[in-house]
Amino acid sequence: MLVKGNHEFNISKEMLWSYLMDPEVLAKITPGISELEPTGEDSYNTISNMKIGPVKGSFKGKLNVIDKEEPSSFAIDMEQLSKIGNAHGKISMKISDADNGSTNLAFNGDVKLSGMIARMGQRVLSGVANLIIKEVFASLETHISESTA
Amino acid sequence: MTNYIGKSVKRVEDKRFITGQGKYTDDIKIPGMVHAYILRSPYAHAHVKSIDTAEASKVPGVISIITGADIPEAIAGVPCGWQVDFKNGDTMKEPPHPLLVRKTVRHVGDGVVLVVAESKAIAKDAADMIDVDYDVLDAVADPKAAAQSGAPLVHPDAPGNLCFDWELGNPKEEVAAALAGAHHVTELDFVNQRVIPNAMETRGVVAQYDTAYDKYTIYTSTQNPHLIRLLMCAFVLGIPEHKVRVVGPDVGGGFGSKIFHYTEEALLVWASKHLNLPIKWSSDRSEAFLTDAHGRDHASNAKMGFDKDGNIVALQATTYANLGAYLSTFAPAVPTYLHGTLMQGLYTTPKVNVDVKGVFTHTNAVDAYRGAGRPEATYLLERLLDLGALEMDMDPTELRRKNFIPAFDGVEQEGYQTQVALQYDSGNYEPVLDRALEMVGYENFRKEQAAAASSNKILGIGFSTYIEACGIAPSAVVGALGARAGLFESAQVRVQPTGKVSVYTGSHSHGQGHETTFAQIVADRMGIPLDDVEIIHGDSDSVAFGMGTYGSRSLAVGGSAIVKSIDKVLEKGAKVAAHLLESSVDDLDYADGKWTVKGTDKSVSFGDVSLTAYVPHNYPEGLEPGLDFSSFYDPANFTYPFGAHVAIVEIDKETGAVKLKRFIAVDDVGNVINPMIVDGQIHGGLAQGIGQAMYEGALFDDTGQLINGSYMDYCMPRADALPSFEIDRTVTPCPHNPLGVKGAGEAGCIGSTPAVVNAVVDALWKAGYKVKDVPMPMTPERVWTAMQG
Repeated sequence: MLVKGNHEFNISKEMLWSYLMDPEVLAKITPGISELEPTGEDSYNTISNMKIGPVKGSFKGKLNVIDKEEPSSFAIDMEQLSKIGNAHGKISMKISDADNGSTNLAFNGDVKLSGMIARMGQRVLSGVANLIIKEVFASLETHISESTA
Repeated sequence: MTNYIGKSVKRVEDKRFITGQGKYTDDIKIPGMVHAYILRSPYAHAHVKSIDTAEASKVPGVISIITGADIPEAIAGVPCGWQVDFKNGDTMKEPPHPLLVRKTVRHVGDGVVLVVAESKAIAKDAADMIDVDYDVLDAVADPKAAAQSGAPLVHPDAPGNLCFDWELGNPKEEVAAALAGAHHVTELDFVNQRVIPNAMETRGVVAQYDTAYDKYTIYTSTQNPHLIRLLMCAFVLGIPEHKVRVVGPDVGGGFGSKIFHYTEEALLVWASKHLNLPIKWSSDRSEAFLTDAHGRDHASNAKMGFDKDGNIVALQATTYANLGAYLSTFAPAVPTYLHGTLMQGLYTTPKVNVDVKGVFTHTNAVDAYRGAGRPEATYLLERLLDLGALEMDMDPTELRRKNFIPAFDGVEQEGYQTQVALQYDSGNYEPVLDRALEMVGYENFRKEQAAAASSNKILGIGFSTYIEACGIAPSAVVGALGARAGLFESAQVRVQPTGKVSVYTGSHSHGQGHETTFAQIVADRMGIPLDDVEIIHGDSDSVAFGMGTYGSRSLAVGGSAIVKSIDKVLEKGAKVAAHLLESSVDDLDYADGKWTVKGTDKSVSFGDVSLTAYVPHNYPEGLEPGLDFSSFYDPANFTYPFGAHVAIVEIDKETGAVKLKRFIAVDDVGNVINPMIVDGQIHGGLAQGIGQAMYEGALFDDTGQLINGSYMDYCMPRADALPSFEIDRTVTPCPHNPLGVKGAGEAGCIGSTPAVVNAVVDALWKAGYKVKDVPMPMTPERVWTAMQG
């Protein structure tokens, strides 16, 4: 499953970087996530609940932040396991200056699905995943405006 | 009335089916029965690092949790029933297919843990609590990709993922030379995509071990109870065959997918003794998508050469056939001896070579699916013929006529010897095409098509004149081709003292209507009422032996065995009758259920003769009492039905959507016992063949995941997608079986698929789009994309 998209933030690259690297912020803004427990530097155990079309399940997994090049890029390497299927993948994040003085965050990745989530409705899943990621960024924007207000 | 053959007698079995009284495997309930659920691999290729069952085993109601390590090493797995060798003489690669994996999973759905509990729900919940830690490995699902160097290996002992590399026909160099000298060569690279059988009843097994008799009883949703018993007893579990009863009760469709001996059957039988409990497993629909053997899945290149007049001079067919991760029971036979041998088609092609590589991939097994190899061969030939006609600007029907094998009846004229091993029994090919064209109104259609060519809704017509080999098959022939079984059939005709008749057949009905068709044969030949005949099948304890039903063999082989037994009954009956009439056998006629002394009104009824045979007070000296005969019938040849199928489509140029407007099928299946049942078989086959052309197709991603494994994602043909079929028949009797029948179960599925694709290509071509192929299933998006060049 390919995921790809971007979002613009009205803050500097460095500010965005610091928000993205804050586990408490991430836990707060990611839909469905109920636990984000650090297990080492840039490594977390996660528990999340997802409903995608006809299937819903509770995912347990690992999330690592890798390939960090502050403040311009990093990647999320993840493994999420559930009874309805598993997701393994890497999503690259690129932070760059946008024309209008804001900051652009572009994501691009390939997530391999297995089990029931692979068999049922995978043809629509890419769109759903992109939506979820965009939702994360929209929440982050809200969080930023609230915390800087 | 005792004249039943050729009559559309309503199906006697339908009363119980349509009133919900059919008894299927999942309806079997045994006191104390427990339930099994199989935890399956979510990955196409992975090493199992550990299995943690601690939490699951604490669930109340869980009885046992069994992993591959718990199964004795001596039980290696289920066997393959057909051996195909490499062209250099090497034996095919035959890796073990374990009942539960021990270390490596090789396809999504590979069985990993068996959970046994008081209910299926408990077993399923407990399975959810089992943690299997996998080390995920690279996988390959496409047969051509799997055969390339560097592809992930499915089995370490099958280099290049090759099971076999096989060829048949004339030497390749001769074919190449003929193609080089041809006036025109039509070449096509195409995929005959994987389809999923989707029988209405999913598979299931109930196994019970009886300590008192040291005997097993197994109910399984199978087309083939005796063969399952033989394979399981002799090659998997080492149980004495006489200690096992296998019952295939009412079975809700198979389409080939229930021929095979599946791991679940042997696993449940083993577990029933291991736990000393009756145990049931029934597949849910998701498991059916993952584990019922799939069909087709060929990637092919084909070249057909023509001289300047359109005569075919040579055919080269090269195919990568996907076998899946493990060899299913007849998997190697399907792309080879049931496919390569049909590459002569109806044509006099003088040079034919078929090259097939059987390839392992990280996918569920591929085996026989309605037609089994013959649809793939027909698709290849018929696509090339229609495309060749377009390329050479010839009429596709005229091109076929030029190349048809002249008529032969197999009696006065010899059978036709092909370049690819088979000898056709009888054939008369022009009349089926003539009749189809008459039904189509061909000349008119071409005018309508030309008129529509510049509109938004363009029209196309596609042809398929097919031949198939069924009535599988002479044991000596298939033995020489690698079958590890004979393919005869048995039948016992037991006349009860009152003249009622019980017929035990080794054929298995799972939708075909044997209880009606076979009864018609018996009632007609014996001159007794249909209601006096009962057909018994599917139980290894009551039927002597059986090779089951597939390859359109029931009537041609099983029906012929019944005729042999009827003949024996009537022969003995005549001796009893002659005694009672104080006459000689030679002076008797048998008709309408009684023996009559020729030229007199002295007669004795079948019922009186039966009673005398069982109450032999006044009886011929030296004659055994009773009236009960068994026969085994081994056919002299395959049978070769043929036909002409025509599809007419309309394509919306703006969306690429294809509408199948008409479908005409003229089939020749030899003599017909019950026309209504044959019509039904043709209709069902057409729906499946058209389904492949337009709707169906299993899709795998690059990690080997089946991504359309549900009815939300896998498109089945529905009644509203199909036109009202226009069908007719010609009759060319089979010269070598007593009924003159050929078989009708697969014809619809074999002939129809290329006709539909040809119609779409014809529509596009005639509207100015030089499109050679639209990949199946021909979704609007694919048709539209093809139109964009």
